[in-house]
Amino acid sequence: MNTPRNGMSRRRFLQSSALALGALNLAPSGVLATGGAPGANGRFVVGHIGVGGMGMTHVVNMLRFQKEGKVRLAAVCDADDNRLEAAVNNAGAGVVPYRDYRYLLERKDIDAVLIATPDHWHAVQTVQACECGKHVYVEKPASVTVREGQAMVAAARANKVAVQVGAQARTAKGGWQTCRAIRNGIVGKVSRVTCWHYANPVDDKPLPDSPPPEGLDWDLWVGPLPFRPHNKRYQPANFRWLLESGGGQIRDRGAHQFSTILWCMNADHQTSFTVTATGRAPTKGLWDCPIDMNVLFEFKNPDWTLEWGQPGDKAGQTEFGNAFWGEHGRLILEWEGGYRPANPEAVNFQLPPGGQEVYRTDEYEDFNMNHKADWFKSIREGHLRPAVDIEIGHRTATLCNLGNLAYVLGRKLVWDGDRQEVRNDPEANRFLSRPQRYPYVL
Amino acid sequence: MNANNGEPSPLAEFSSRIRSPDDSISGPAWQGAQTYGAAAIGPLAGILGSEDFEIARNAKRAMYRITRHAGRPGAETEAEAAESALITALRHESATVRRAVLWMLSEIGGDRAVEPMAALLTDYEAREDARAALMRLPGERATAALRGAFRTAPEPFKYALADALRKRGEQVDGYPSQKLVPSKQTTVQAVSK
Repeated sequence: MNTPRNGMSRRRFLQSSALALGALNLAPSGVLATGGAPGANGRFVVGHIGVGGMGMTHVVNMLRFQKEGKVRLAAVCDADDNRLEAAVNNAGAGVVPYRDYRYLLERKDIDAVLIATPDHWHAVQTVQACECGKHVYVEKPASVTVREGQAMVAAARANKVAVQVGAQARTAKGGWQTCRAIRNGIVGKVSRVTCWHYANPVDDKPLPDSPPPEGLDWDLWVGPLPFRPHNKRYQPANFRWLLESGGGQIRDRGAHQFSTILWCMNADHQTSFTVTATGRAPTKGLWDCPIDMNVLFEFKNPDWTLEWGQPGDKAGQTEFGNAFWGEHGRLILEWEGGYRPANPEAVNFQLPPGGQEVYRTDEYEDFNMNHKADWFKSIREGHLRPAVDIEIGHRTATLCNLGNLAYVLGRKLVWDGDRQEVRNDPEANRFLSRPQRYPYVL
Repeated sequence: MNANNGEPSPLAEFSSRIRSPDDSISGPAWQGAQTYGAAAIGPLAGILGSEDFEIARNAKRAMYRITRHAGRPGAETEAEAAESALITALRHESATVRRAVLWMLSEIGGDRAVEPMAALLTDYEAREDARAALMRLPGERATAALRGAFRTAPEPFKYALADALRKRGEQVDGYPSQKLVPSKQTTVQAVSK
C-alpha cells in the first residue's frame, strides 16, 4: 500500500519535494540516473560498516535484497577481524573485507553504506560517508551529542544524500496502526505519554583494563572517544551501559520509542521542551548509566508531557512499552526485542469521516527489510527524505541525550529548539559537543 | 585530622570513604561529593592516581560530581574555586590524572584555565586530550593558545591542531585533514569465487 502523505497525492508530494530540493545530484556510481530514478541495472551497490549484532542483521537483509536483484553487496568492514571474517564468509564471494572504513568510503562504485558501529561512531562515519557522496543507513541513536546530530543533518543536505536512521517503527505496521489511531482521536486529545522500561544493568564484576583480544583494533574501536585502555567490561557489547557511548536504555530503546511517540503525536516540529531527570547511579563497576531513571519532558503548544520510566509504570505486559493517555482513555503500544504488533484496538481502528491517513512504505512484512525498502524508495523517488530522515533522527536523539544530560547535571534544562541550545546554562551548553579524538573527527 | 579534638577532619573522613573497598560505603561517598566542594578536589586527584582501579574510579566520579555541581547557573564562586583546584591538579605526576582533569576543565574552565591546559599541548601523553578539551572552551584565548601551540608542535601533531583551529574558524595553510585517509589493513581474506 502506498498511501499519500497527510492526504496529499503522491504526485503533488514529489513535486513539492523536488521544488524544495532543487536539482538533485545523487550517487556518483552511475547506478542511479538523474532525477532519482534507478539506472539501467536498478541496483544499489552497498557496503557495511560494523558487522556485529545488528550489523549482521543488515548484512542478511542486504543478501536478501541482492537475491531479489535490488542491491549488490560489495564490502563489509569491522575493526574486529573475528566479526569481519564471519561477515565475509556469510556474505560470500565478491565481497571485499576491510578493517578501515575509509577504504570503503573511497570506493566510487559504492552508492550507499549501512552503519552499525557503536553509538560513539555514528556521527563521524555518517558525516564522512555523506561527504563521500554515499547514502547512509545508520543505526539509532543517530548521535551522542546535539552538535553531532546537527552535523549529520548538514552533511546529508549539503551532499544531497538520503540518510535513514534505523528506528524501524515508523515504517512497521504496528507503529503505523498506532500512529493513525492516535492522530485520528482513538483516545481523544493526548496530554501525556508514558514509557516503561526495565533497568540498566550493573557491572557487578568489574575487571581491570587488559590488552585487547587478538584481531581487535582497539584504537579504531575507540575512535572518536577520548582514548582509554581496553577493558573486557566495555567491549564488545557493553558499550551500551556507558554514558559516553551507548548512553543506556533511554538512548537505546528510547530512540525507538521517542521516534514513534513523536510520530504518533505529530510532534516532529515541537523541538523546544524542558527536561528534568532523576536516577539511581550504580555504586561500583565500569558502567555509569543510572540503574533506575525517571525523565520528564514538557512540550508546549500543544501542551503534553513525555515520561521515560525505568522501571516506570508498567501499563502493559511486555518488557517495555508506552501508553498514550487521552481524554477518553489510553492506548498502549507494547514493545519487545523484535517486532510486535499494535494493540488490537489500534489494529481494528477505523478512520472517522474526514480522518487523516498516515503514509508508510509497505513493501515487506519483515520490518527490518521494510525500513530499508523505505530508504531505497526515498533515493529512487528523488526526495531523499526517508521515514526517519536524519533530521527526525537528530531530534529524537536530542531527547535521549538531553534526558541523560539532565540526569548528569542534576537540574532542569530548558531546551530552545530554534536556537539549539540550553537556555541560561553555559555549563550544559558545553556538553552539547564533545570534540573527537584526531583523526576520527567530524 | 582535626587539630582541635584529634578527630579526622570531614575531608579526611570523606577520603577514607572514597578509598573503601566496600561500595556500599564508597558509592554514597562519591555520589554525595558535591557537598565537599573544591577543597576535596586536590585529595581526590591524589586518589585518582591509585593503583586500585575501582578506588580510582570512585575518586574520578567524585571529582566530576563536584565539578558539575559547581558549574550550575548562579554558582560562579564555586565554579571559580573548582576551576582553581582543577588547575592545580593539572600538574599531577600521573598522566591519567592530568587527562581526566583536562576534561573536567573542559566543562567549567574559563580564560584562567586556558594557559595551564595549553601547557599540556606539549605533554606527549596528554596533548590530544588537551587539544580536544581546549576546543570546548569558548573565546579567543583558547583559539590563541591552539594557534601558539601549532607554531611549535611536532609535525604529526600539527595536523590535529590544524583541525582544531579550522573548526574554530581559523585559516590554516597546509596540513590538510587526514580524517578520510585510510591506514589500517586487515588480514581477513575475501571468499574465493
